[in-house]
Amino acid sequence: MALFIYGTAENTGKGFFTAEDRRNFFLRGFPGDVWVIGNNEKGALWLAEKNGVEKTKAEAQAIVDAEVAKAQAAYDALPEDQKNRPGFNQRPTAITLP
Amino acid sequence: MTTYNQLAGYRVNYLGSDPTLNTGNEGQVWYNSTTGTLRSLVQLKAWSAGSNMSTARTALAGCGTQTAGLAFGGVTTVNTNATEEYSGYTWSAGGNLNTIRRDLAGAGIQTAGIAFGGRNPNPTNLTATEKYDGTSWTSSGNLGTARRSLAGAGIQTAGLAFGGVTTTQVANTESFNGSTWTAGGNMNTARNSLGGAGTQTAGLGFGGFSTVTTNITELYNGSTWTTGGTMNTARYNLGGAGIQTAGIGFGGYTTANVANTEEYDGSVWVTSTNLTTARRELANAGTRSAALGAGGYTTAVSSATEEFNSTIYSPATGAWASGGNMGTATISGSGAGTQTAALAFGGSTGSPSSGTRSAVTQKYDGTSWTSTGNLGSAVYANAGAGTQTAAVNFGGSTAPTVRSAVTEKFNGSTWTTSGNMNSGRQALTGLGTQTAAIGAGGYASSGPPYSVDALSESFNGTSWTTGNNLNTARYYLAGCGTQTSGLVFGGAPPASGLSNTESYNGTSWTATGTLNTARRNLAGSGTQTAALAAGGSNPSVVSNTELFDGTSWVSNPPMTTARTALRSGSQSPNSVSVVFGGTTATAITSATEEWSGPQTTATASTLTTS
Repeated sequence: MALFIYGTAENTGKGFFTAEDRRNFFLRGFPGDVWVIGNNEKGALWLAEKNGVEKTKAEAQAIVDAEVAKAQAAYDALPEDQKNRPGFNQRPTAITLP
Repeated sequence: MTTYNQLAGYRVNYLGSDPTLNTGNEGQVWYNSTTGTLRSLVQLKAWSAGSNMSTARTALAGCGTQTAGLAFGGVTTVNTNATEEYSGYTWSAGGNLNTIRRDLAGAGIQTAGIAFGGRNPNPTNLTATEKYDGTSWTSSGNLGTARRSLAGAGIQTAGLAFGGVTTTQVANTESFNGSTWTAGGNMNTARNSLGGAGTQTAGLGFGGFSTVTTNITELYNGSTWTTGGTMNTARYNLGGAGIQTAGIGFGGYTTANVANTEEYDGSVWVTSTNLTTARRELANAGTRSAALGAGGYTTAVSSATEEFNSTIYSPATGAWASGGNMGTATISGSGAGTQTAALAFGGSTGSPSSGTRSAVTQKYDGTSWTSTGNLGSAVYANAGAGTQTAAVNFGGSTAPTVRSAVTEKFNGSTWTTSGNMNSGRQALTGLGTQTAAIGAGGYASSGPPYSVDALSESFNGTSWTTGNNLNTARYYLAGCGTQTSGLVFGGAPPASGLSNTESYNGTSWTATGTLNTARRNLAGSGTQTAALAAGGSNPSVVSNTELFDGTSWVSNPPMTTARTALRSGSQSPNSVSVVFGGTTATAITSATEEWSGPQTTATASTLTTS
């Protein structure tokens, strides 16, 4: 059995995921409203309850890749003096889903 | 008819609801008149199978936790230097030990472990000590006494080695400070193959082989050992975990392999649930209520993993939950207040270099965000302190190349200007209250290149006074605590982040335990002895959560979504905190996450006749 379920769902704020959810199953959020969810009964139920759309790992990875590419393009379009400043203004790097 | 009172010495209480549960309720029965049920507090304890290790072996060592364990060394058919990391689900390969060995000891955590002693294939007893950083092992200062079959406890920067065999059983104790070992007080009973647990200043040694198989327990206070309660089953080559007042011993060898498990409360050992498979010389990790045993020898070398859980008093792990989304997403602003009364102010609503500085101030009530009076000046990379109704904002960048010294105070609805800082700068951190704040670190230059400040200033509600510098100059650091008991941690440069932590006593800064994950642009909250660090970048955006106890940082479950340049309700205790805003790897976010720290929970059960 696969370790994870992949899906998309909009983070609606308070109550979207609870501490109990986090204790019951693996849950990580990624760009593009992509969620990687522990593959157990509670994890699967959570995605359904959030009106999420289940994706294959490849589909989810493609969504994340597109978001990263968009962010990289935005970064590359910055004037040179606005790149690599102290702190957070770094070029986004690729993300590999677990 | 015999009554429960006669049998157990207690009456069955007639209660409208379950009582507040604690250890005193364990084993008691009461009638819940609301639900019409007999209720009791029954502790459920069990070993359950985890994933097998990749390499079956015995005489290995372990450290870490049940969900972040580390196993290393040992013997398959030959001695091995293999390391494996356990996630709570699966084992994966880690970096090999530099010295192949068996019968070694270990301590620390998965990302900051130590291995010491043991013997090589010759066989020769070893003094070799190695430190693990989550990826690879590096050699460190040798033990004073070469030995094998010793026990270990503590952490990488405060380790403890005791007992073992040279040419005979030894009682030697040595303390490790992260680089060198120093001799401590000898155990009262020299022995090898004993169980070990606890810390450098509160160690626990139990069982083992002296000239006979022993059940003796000893407690270490950092200098001397005293005798504690004896184990119910004398044995050696057992596993041990936990702390001095909440220890667990499991498995081992008497005249055969045993599965016996016992729990220790600092005084008495109590028999607990057996391992599924009797074995000896296994790796051990975790706590009394969440222990891990792996490998060892059954009728052959084993790769089996078992996890012990005590379901009533097992501490629930800390966890993040989603909070209400911010009305205005901002990056690199400042925060104040608590999880149910937080304040967000300043920051940038777009690219931080594109001039989209924000004066927006928002309040959080534990459920949703609402806008309130704006800052007088739009600013990002600012710092702040205080509460939702009495906050202070200072420093930051108000325009390209302008490092602000402006200070503003918030009364719950509006901001008013106060005395300027002595040094205008951005990317500093703030801690304390509106009338007793600290601003530390940051940078003042227009760059590039950018200089970095170690400056520290204190605010009395009206004006700023320059104090002693930080030991490590840095920007985009985090801070928490008070003006006389402060803490700063993380930051940059380099872009990969700092792990340095410094505590402040109102006069000077002192280096203390380092973050396990170096990073910058992280969020922090809590106090000098109970702090939280969350998120940041190194330079990848991370979700790591760590808790500080005044001495060391311990990794906790990560945030749900990795982000950097976030902020927090900085007055929140590290058990109930909140973080908000910042940027994920690709975009500014309005998301809020609320932290609930580790907790001990108890749940009553309904008694039935079936």
